[in-house]
Amino acid sequence: MSNLPADCPRCAFETVTRLATSPVPGVWDVLQCDRCLYTWRTTEPARRTRRDAFPENFKLTPADIANAIEVPEVPPLLT
Amino acid sequence: MAYDDLRSFLDTLDKQGQLLRITDEVLPEPDLAAAANATGRIGENAPALYFDNVKGFTDARIAMNVHGSWANHALALGLPRNTPVKEQVEEFARRWDAFPVAPERREDAPWRENTQEGDDVDLFSVLPLFRLNDGDGGFYLDKAAVVSRDPEDPGHFGKQNVGTYRIQVIGANRLAFQPVPMHDVAQHLRKAEEKGEDLPIAITLGNDPVMAIVAGMPMAYDHSEYEMAGALRGAPAPIATAPLTGFDVPWGSEVVIEGVIESRKRQIEGPFGEFTGHYSGGRRMPVIRVDRVSFRTNPVFESLYIGMPWTECDYLVGPNTCVPLLKQLRAEFPEVKAVNAMYTHGLLVIISTAKRYGGFAKAVGMRAMTTPHGLGYVAQVILVDEDVDPFNLPQVMWAMSAKVNPKDDVVVIPNLSVVELAPAAQPAGITSKMIIDATTPVSPDGRGNFSTPAKDLPETAQWAARLQGMLAGRA
Repeated sequence: MSNLPADCPRCAFETVTRLATSPVPGVWDVLQCDRCLYTWRTTEPARRTRRDAFPENFKLTPADIANAIEVPEVPPLLT
Repeated sequence: MAYDDLRSFLDTLDKQGQLLRITDEVLPEPDLAAAANATGRIGENAPALYFDNVKGFTDARIAMNVHGSWANHALALGLPRNTPVKEQVEEFARRWDAFPVAPERREDAPWRENTQEGDDVDLFSVLPLFRLNDGDGGFYLDKAAVVSRDPEDPGHFGKQNVGTYRIQVIGANRLAFQPVPMHDVAQHLRKAEEKGEDLPIAITLGNDPVMAIVAGMPMAYDHSEYEMAGALRGAPAPIATAPLTGFDVPWGSEVVIEGVIESRKRQIEGPFGEFTGHYSGGRRMPVIRVDRVSFRTNPVFESLYIGMPWTECDYLVGPNTCVPLLKQLRAEFPEVKAVNAMYTHGLLVIISTAKRYGGFAKAVGMRAMTTPHGLGYVAQVILVDEDVDPFNLPQVMWAMSAKVNPKDDVVVIPNLSVVELAPAAQPAGITSKMIIDATTPVSPDGRGNFSTPAKDLPETAQWAARLQGMLAGRA
């Protein structure tokens, strides 16, 4: 399949990993951002696969990821 | 009739004209989700969808919208496909009374045919995974039955939980997982994490149709979903022993995934288009390491489209949310006639009740909010009289418009618990809750002018049945 894209459509992180490739050779790859874990198939529409077409409402910054709430919260260890 | 696996139910849907096979080649995205999304827009008796020609895959088999209509829900319970909704709920409540029905253990589970273990686990090689909504963070398992045990009482069959939770695939052998704090698996996880231990887990995909219903049903913590499935099926639920965890899992599943929720770890997950018709934002959630996958040869991957209601999710959890609330309310208030909790998993509930004395209906509304399910849902309750059908929304709106004096009949209680996914909560997990008392005031509550109501003629019910019969005969 094609070379990996330069960055994540959602958070612009520059390291992307190939998670899977199509059983029929050369049709698509499933890619994942190493930072925000966004996962997409290369044959999806541009609004899901290209940074410049990705909806602003769904873009993530490093601060969004770092400050995301924990659900459920990790409980204190019993002593 | 009781179905032991998904495949036999798909055969019945096919024979009943409730399964649509899509044989033209489709794209995994956006076609699969868009087609399932469309089933919620074409009427109440939409069919299930079956895809086996998906671009790039060689042997994908995908079933969607299996429970996504009243006809399919009726067939899942072994009822005639045209059974009215109110009758489906009443029959569900009647069968509940047979609980508990002990399951039947079988050793020849078809998912034993194939196995992946350890480093060989690759979920992408087993399942034709795909995305649902534009803003989803990735590919989801959203119709699984997830099995876990109470770490402090692992031998208690009833405390073994079977539930449906959203699960994002974040690696070939890794999943992100959402245990809503009100749900049983969150209690299991908290107990394990307090001790610094991983929580073993089994995730079963492609289950028989009643298993899917009970896995999404708000049951008591120590009640067994398998024993409820037996009651609803009218026959013991077939179960088998999962090879890695030793957990009890459905015999008829297409795929059984086993592993652990890694203790005290959280990782970014989502967003995901939820049953509320809104995305939940990205949050840090528990993660699962998958250690073993067992699967039938040529497994059918069952998924459901979820998003702006109504979707399959609403048909799946509508009746099974009404019945526990009905039973729990009637246990103390036998005056309760019917409960409609079919809107957004019971965030809004409509209850019809007779009254003992003035103010009684409001007490019923407050009790609904303190049932186990109500603690996390039931943010709005509408109370109507015993002769109003809570499933008949025009009747409910008549009661609201004619019986409610807002000053006296609307009660708002601040800062109560609600599921964190509720979009109106502020902060997440906290909301005010509202009771609207649309019942007729009774003594000593002497408000209003309700002494001369117009009632249906005595012969009307007989004529309604006659006309319905004539219409059915014409069809």
